Amino acid sequence: MEEVRPDEVSEILRKQLSGFEKEVDVYDVGTVLQIGDGVARVYGLSHAMMSELVEFPHGVFGMVLNLEEDNVGCILFGESREISEGDTVKRIGRVASMPVGEQMLGRVVNPLGQPIDGRGPVKTEKLSPIERKALGVIQRQPVKEPLQTGLKAVDGMIPIGRGQRELIIGDRQTGKTAIALDTIINQKYSHTERAKREGVKPVYCIYVAVGQKSSTVAQVVDKLQQEGAMEYTTIIAATAADPAPMQFIAPYSGATLGEYFRDSGRHALVVYDDLTKQAQAYRQVSLLLRRPPGREAYPGDIFYLHSRLLERASKLSDELGGGSLTALPVIETQAGDVSAYIPTNVISITDGQIYLEPGMFNSGIRPAINVGISVSRVGGNAQIKAMKKVAGSLRIDLAQYRELEAFAKFGSDLDKSTLAQLRRGSRLVELLKQGQFVPMPVEKQVVSLFAGTNGFLDEVPLEHVARFERELLELMDLKYADLLGSISGTKDLGTDIAQRLKDVLRQFTDSFKAAIKA
Amino acid sequence: MKNLRVARRYAGALMDIAEAGKTIDRTAGDLETIASALRGSRELWLLTQSPVVSPVKKAAVFRAVFVARVGEGTMKFIDLVIAKQREKHLPEIVEQFSLLRDEKMGIVSVSVTSAVEFTPSQEKDLGSELERYTKKKVRIRITVDKAIKAGLVVRIGDTVLDASMRRQLELLKARFLEGGPSTN
Repeated sequence: MEEVRPDEVSEILRKQLSGFEKEVDVYDVGTVLQIGDGVARVYGLSHAMMSELVEFPHGVFGMVLNLEEDNVGCILFGESREISEGDTVKRIGRVASMPVGEQMLGRVVNPLGQPIDGRGPVKTEKLSPIERKALGVIQRQPVKEPLQTGLKAVDGMIPIGRGQRELIIGDRQTGKTAIALDTIINQKYSHTERAKREGVKPVYCIYVAVGQKSSTVAQVVDKLQQEGAMEYTTIIAATAADPAPMQFIAPYSGATLGEYFRDSGRHALVVYDDLTKQAQAYRQVSLLLRRPPGREAYPGDIFYLHSRLLERASKLSDELGGGSLTALPVIETQAGDVSAYIPTNVISITDGQIYLEPGMFNSGIRPAINVGISVSRVGGNAQIKAMKKVAGSLRIDLAQYRELEAFAKFGSDLDKSTLAQLRRGSRLVELLKQGQFVPMPVEKQVVSLFAGTNGFLDEVPLEHVARFERELLELMDLKYADLLGSISGTKDLGTDIAQRLKDVLRQFTDSFKAAIKA
Repeated sequence: MKNLRVARRYAGALMDIAEAGKTIDRTAGDLETIASALRGSRELWLLTQSPVVSPVKKAAVFRAVFVARVGEGTMKFIDLVIAKQREKHLPEIVEQFSLLRDEKMGIVSVSVTSAVEFTPSQEKDLGSELERYTKKKVRIRITVDKAIKAGLVVRIGDTVLDASMRRQLELLKARFLEGGPSTN
């Protein structure tokens, strides 16, 4: 090895030091009065701003959350064990911020933007405050492009538009995260050359994990990597082991990163998984800061906590580049109680909800979406025409089926039309089942649902519906790729295409029936 | 924290009275007498801290000790403080009063930490320089601390002007770490 000459070393040092000499460093300080449970009371810091970052000894950062007559209440983003009363607290001089940029894609970071995936520093150029005011009316336009989730039940009946806020709500273990992850995986399509040709813009995804087990987050990262979805995804994790203040700011960091993509004319999707835990973290912090408790001991501004977060989802006007930020908040209910405080709040803030039921989940209907009470208040405008045409009667058919299903259990003497409705309904329920991590492109969804709503499945035995669908789509891929192509290309189902599709289905149904008899 | 709020209220009220009667300096002197008596006599201090002794007795003791030494206004103030059972906070009240007085008179107290002992002329220079900087009269308290290695640290209220070698080294260290490999 060549020896390092002394002049080289000093040369490097000189370079490092150039422009460094700052004669006097001016900063504001305060003294810790009280510390514990992740919050600190600080005396002094007389010029501190709301939500400003402060630095405690041992490199622990905090954020100013309470400005009082004679002290400042701070929340801590690190261990409070090493800090003691009387320690000096320094003002950083800027509000809590998140580094943003494309470099964040593919990374796992904490809510302060520091990487936690062990892959070195994230070299971003911009810092954005995590709390920002949502855009006003002038800067927005109505939601008009679809955000395909790849789930037949969602894209068919509860369509989500880019810039929408759609709540995913349900008990534990009902597949809430699965829907969010499927949606992220399905965005892979939007990053392909083909999507570009068809005018579908890429969607960048952000998955915010709040208060989850670290092992669950690791699983999510692993799954997304396997599916090749990490290339366009950032994961912001504040796990159950992180301090409550960290969990409280995580969704805001996610929104800030999403806004970076939105404001540069691109499209972003951010999943907040889940806001119940965030509300609980905020409740903890608020109670420790001695803010008065309200209903369920949540502080008075818990509604504003979520509304200001979700208001940041938006579709920008064309003058501002037409970017969008779609939000998929997740709420976990206790024993199906949607009238608890946090669920009702978030239901009223969002543009619709996907309601998942444990009963349906356990009877094998997965995704376990209760389409009766799930709605999308704006997404309808964003559905592609072809989907609108085939899914139009889906909702009504299913609603009638559910009504009849209950009382058909008692009697056996049913008239013909009732039986037909029951048969149709049960086939549709079967058709809407879909495996996890296998999102379906929209043109295939159209073909599947077309077969269902046009009665081609009515004669197929219930247990063979899944096979019917699988073989039908294989056939379409092999022989009628042009049909699929024209659906996804024109995004419409013209009468001639519909006619051809009917012919294909008629032929296929006949051969399928023969095949299962044999 | 709670005591601070209480102390500030009492000191503020006393300041209002003293200002109206133009007796700020005298009141300040009286309070200093009381504070030094409390510092000097452990018995007196224990008396103020004890919840067992009744307020009437405490008031009698204070009157006996101080009636000849302090003004009538101050004596009344002490009676009030004892009647309200806040005599425990007397030292804080005195401290807050002197802070309020400084504020009124445009004096800021500045604490200076230096690595080496100051000569009187240096101290004077520093004082006039700080007066120019703060545009107020300054009261300087100098402490010597070798830990800052060189230079000096000036603290005016909550603001620190840090020109120490220790801080420079800290900043340099942070800068080296920033460019280095991640510790994650």
